[in-house]
Amino acid sequence: MISLNVNKKAYQLDADPNMPLLWAIRDIVGLTGTKYGCGVAQCGACVVHLNGEAVRSCVTPLSRAAGQEVVTIEGLSENNNHPLQLAWKELDVPQCGYCHSGQLMSAAVLLRENSTPTDQDIDDAMAGNICRCGTYSRIRKAIHKAAELQKQGR
Amino acid sequence: MKQINTRPSFSKAVLIITMMILFLIVNLASGELNYHHPDNAGNDELKKDSVESVNAFMQVYKVLMSPRCMNCHPSGDIPLQGDDSHIHTMEPKRGTDGKGLYAMKCMNCHQSANVPGAHTPPGNPNWHMPPADMKMIFEGRTPRQLARQLVDPNQNGHKDTKALLEHAHDGLVLAAWDPGEGRSLPPMSHEDFAKAWNRWINLGAFAPPADAK
Amino acid sequence: MSASTLSRRKFLQISGVAGSAFCLGYYFVSGATEATFLNPVSNNDQDGNIEMNAWISIHPTGKVTIFSHRAEMGQGVYQAIPQIVAEELAVLLEEVKVVFAQGDNKKYGSQVTGGSSTVRNSYKNLLKLGATAREMLLEAASNKWSVPKTECYAEAGHIIHRPSGRKFHYGELAAEASKLPVPENIELKPRSEYKLIGKPLKRLDTPLKTNGAAGFGIDKRLPGMLFAAVEHNPRLRGKVKSFDDTAARKIPGVKDVFSLIIKVHNTEREGVAVVADSTWAAIQGKKALKIEWDDSGFEHINTADIYSRQKEKLHTEEGLISRKVGDPDEVLARSTKKIEALYQTPYQSHACMEPMNCTAHYQGDKVEIWGPIQAPDWIQGFISDEMGIDKDNVIVNLTFLGGGFGRKAFTDYPHEACLISQKMGVPIQLLWTREDDMTQGPYRPGISYRCEGVVEDGMISAYKARMSGQNIDHWRSDKRDVANRNTSEGFLKPYFDSLKNVSFAEVQFETPIPVIWWRSVYASTNGFAYESFMDELAHEAGKDPLEFRRQHLEETRLHNLIDKLESVSNWKNRPKNGGYGVAITECFGTTVGQVVKVSKVPGGGIKIDQVWVVVDCGWYVNPDTIQAQMEGSIVMALGAATAHQITFKDGLVEQSNFHSYQMPRIMHAPPVEVHLMENDENAGGVGEPGLPPFAPALTNAIFDLTGKRIRTLPFDINAV
Repeated sequence: MISLNVNKKAYQLDADPNMPLLWAIRDIVGLTGTKYGCGVAQCGACVVHLNGEAVRSCVTPLSRAAGQEVVTIEGLSENNNHPLQLAWKELDVPQCGYCHSGQLMSAAVLLRENSTPTDQDIDDAMAGNICRCGTYSRIRKAIHKAAELQKQGR
Repeated sequence: MKQINTRPSFSKAVLIITMMILFLIVNLASGELNYHHPDNAGNDELKKDSVESVNAFMQVYKVLMSPRCMNCHPSGDIPLQGDDSHIHTMEPKRGTDGKGLYAMKCMNCHQSANVPGAHTPPGNPNWHMPPADMKMIFEGRTPRQLARQLVDPNQNGHKDTKALLEHAHDGLVLAAWDPGEGRSLPPMSHEDFAKAWNRWINLGAFAPPADAK
Repeated sequence: MSASTLSRRKFLQISGVAGSAFCLGYYFVSGATEATFLNPVSNNDQDGNIEMNAWISIHPTGKVTIFSHRAEMGQGVYQAIPQIVAEELAVLLEEVKVVFAQGDNKKYGSQVTGGSSTVRNSYKNLLKLGATAREMLLEAASNKWSVPKTECYAEAGHIIHRPSGRKFHYGELAAEASKLPVPENIELKPRSEYKLIGKPLKRLDTPLKTNGAAGFGIDKRLPGMLFAAVEHNPRLRGKVKSFDDTAARKIPGVKDVFSLIIKVHNTEREGVAVVADSTWAAIQGKKALKIEWDDSGFEHINTADIYSRQKEKLHTEEGLISRKVGDPDEVLARSTKKIEALYQTPYQSHACMEPMNCTAHYQGDKVEIWGPIQAPDWIQGFISDEMGIDKDNVIVNLTFLGGGFGRKAFTDYPHEACLISQKMGVPIQLLWTREDDMTQGPYRPGISYRCEGVVEDGMISAYKARMSGQNIDHWRSDKRDVANRNTSEGFLKPYFDSLKNVSFAEVQFETPIPVIWWRSVYASTNGFAYESFMDELAHEAGKDPLEFRRQHLEETRLHNLIDKLESVSNWKNRPKNGGYGVAITECFGTTVGQVVKVSKVPGGGIKIDQVWVVVDCGWYVNPDTIQAQMEGSIVMALGAATAHQITFKDGLVEQSNFHSYQMPRIMHAPPVEVHLMENDENAGGVGEPGLPPFAPALTNAIFDLTGKRIRTLPFDINAV
């Protein structure tokens, strides 16, 4: 049995400790917002927060997450109202939307560590997240927008 | 792993340290820079031998310039990747502590062990680059430049001889010999590398001449 | 129970809006181009087998549901269809619920979400649909109040009696409206009165895509569902000779292992399936398989051979003429100033972020599937034929698609899911790994072009283009005696009016590689060849490349686009050899012109400083969606031009994941400025036409800056 804390809820998982956290979250815990894209930490679709860090859950063994705090896209905010989520909606960032759980989780670490990111900071934080629809310019604008919202305390 | 089997007395050590400082002064004056510390002399005889020391370093250099070592000691702030040492494709940055930035921290992808399979992130519990204030660049360094850099505490992470000798057995250095599926190994075994490393240092840590390649 | 009420009930079951009081839809009488509108309650005389296309349903509470027969893969139909209908229906867009249709082309006509066709093919009928429903609600209200209909108007989901201010919400009128005959000859609003159409309204699907709530194919869960992965033959056409599943069966959670065969066009793909209680166990089982393949009986192709053969054919064969005006051969033969160029474009993977997956539940005489599917009707028919199940019992449900780009119109992965569920007797979810997606195709074909031309007195006197690459149609048809109908796709049609001697031909070329449509299809490669060559001809003529194009086009609409492009890019004031390039292409009813500005990077390489885009798609719905499609198309085109390609060695695909098929990332995306032409022409597509002009505009800009012609894609932008 592996203890896992996902979005502030405790789970006991009867699973192989080598199973990537991604599949434990999706297939066992049942939260499907976190996506599979490559399985080798190339695309960032599977980013979740492990003790606040934007880990690629597709290569993170369940054993590493045991007893730790995991936050998925479903737990980023209570009501879809994290400043990034508000900015994403205001600028209609997603197209197909598949990569955006990971995009948002990566961006959330950036905003937490740097409340006024520059374009270069955004590149440095977001280069690990691929978007095949090519929404990058809107991701950039939305992160700037979210930084403003965060400053205004929203 | 080679065991340290000589334990010189304190007074002997003081004497030898004094000698070493003298060597350093002499060598600095002559434009050479080398190190000699008896505490970790290993099986090597305690003597200064510039020819043998340089020969040993040229072996060491081959390893340090192999992708497994050089890829995390790049000239820029982005690590290199693969046997062709290309820029790490998603361009993770060093960060001040060498552990990456924001959502692109090394350990966000690199686990404490290699991820099974081809083209997956190699792993180590301490996966990181040198920090921003001590970049320890290997890429582009000549043998002479690299040798001098390695023995300069201001460029080597403040390592004294002892620490430098021990560094050959550092977990992250050892990771080069367990690179994960599909990656080439350094050009010699870790045992041979450690021997050459010790020999280089113990024989005086001489830097090769400027035209050595 | 009458036939028509039966069909109405079926609608409501499908839509999940049981309890609706009013439904209105449209259908096409066989062979008709105009839609017929139908209220399934009042039109009792209708044949119950006819079921409606797009439709509206209004619940007694006033909740409006609008039904989409097309797939949402990022291009915005989930937004466009309701935005059109809500305009004429006079409801608040944010209060509309959108529901995906199931697959059935008997009911809906083609549902193949491709060719950027959803809006351009259905907007007129969608407008009429909304307007017809509104008129029936107005009629119902005026009847209830016993006032003239002219005293009533519709607004924000209500009918209001102007003199008295009384109002009903639509739900209160739905039951009465449903009993009325469907009116004909409804007048549509003039464009100037639009409140929703033409406005950059927020997409209805965005909130679902910021908190993990959007249901993609891979997110489908059914009780008792198992997970499956399949190891396919890496040489695409080989067979399973034998396999050892000992290790695979030892993986905890693995339930079964078996070989299977699916159809890929007119050939077969063989593989070994592993079914388990989690995706991870299935993938582990797949990795543990030891399979011996039989790879005899077909060529093990190499990329180098593909292009050397195409080149040879282009120099020895005239090919099949697809379009010809005058006699370019005669001019080329007599001219001493002929210019000629060979262009080469690569095979490409669609690499949708959501890899192929499908959930299937086989139940004997019936099979139901859920998945990221672009062509539900095609897949329904295919599975019916292959599995011998009555078409009505093949239920195809759409989810959101994590990208499509043409790949998810194909039948292979749904077919595979159905076969695995059939074998297991329980619902299963099949997931292709990224490696499966990248190594199995189908791919965009890699095509070579030979272009020849003569410029006399500053104008083109002969233009001859030959293309050689796999024809996608050949996979579905044995017809080989006609040229590829898309040989000139992308090339501006009005050029045919001004060019006196022009020809396009297909030099046929086959390989065992499966190929299919890839965003903007042939225009994605044609555009590079033809717009690069146009630049070479302009250079030969010693003319400004934008002016040269204008001089060869007689259509005002195109002149307007060129004028706009010239002004927004400040084209006339650009410095000589300042790194400016232009390209204009047309596909799916929309013309897009792009100017790219590049500069040299100190130390080597090229930087894209700016892209200006001018789009003429005629009548349009949502300018923000169009802008987003242009931005995205440019990133996708950038990847195909500079970052990735599929290559083959000894019959094996050399790329397997994003480490070897590099995607553009955020730092690579150039600044893009989009301008939309305003006119009342028919609506064109927007999902694809932004892609083709980018690569030639980029390489033309590089030529302007460096004098270097790039004729082979992809190229290393850091090494120019």
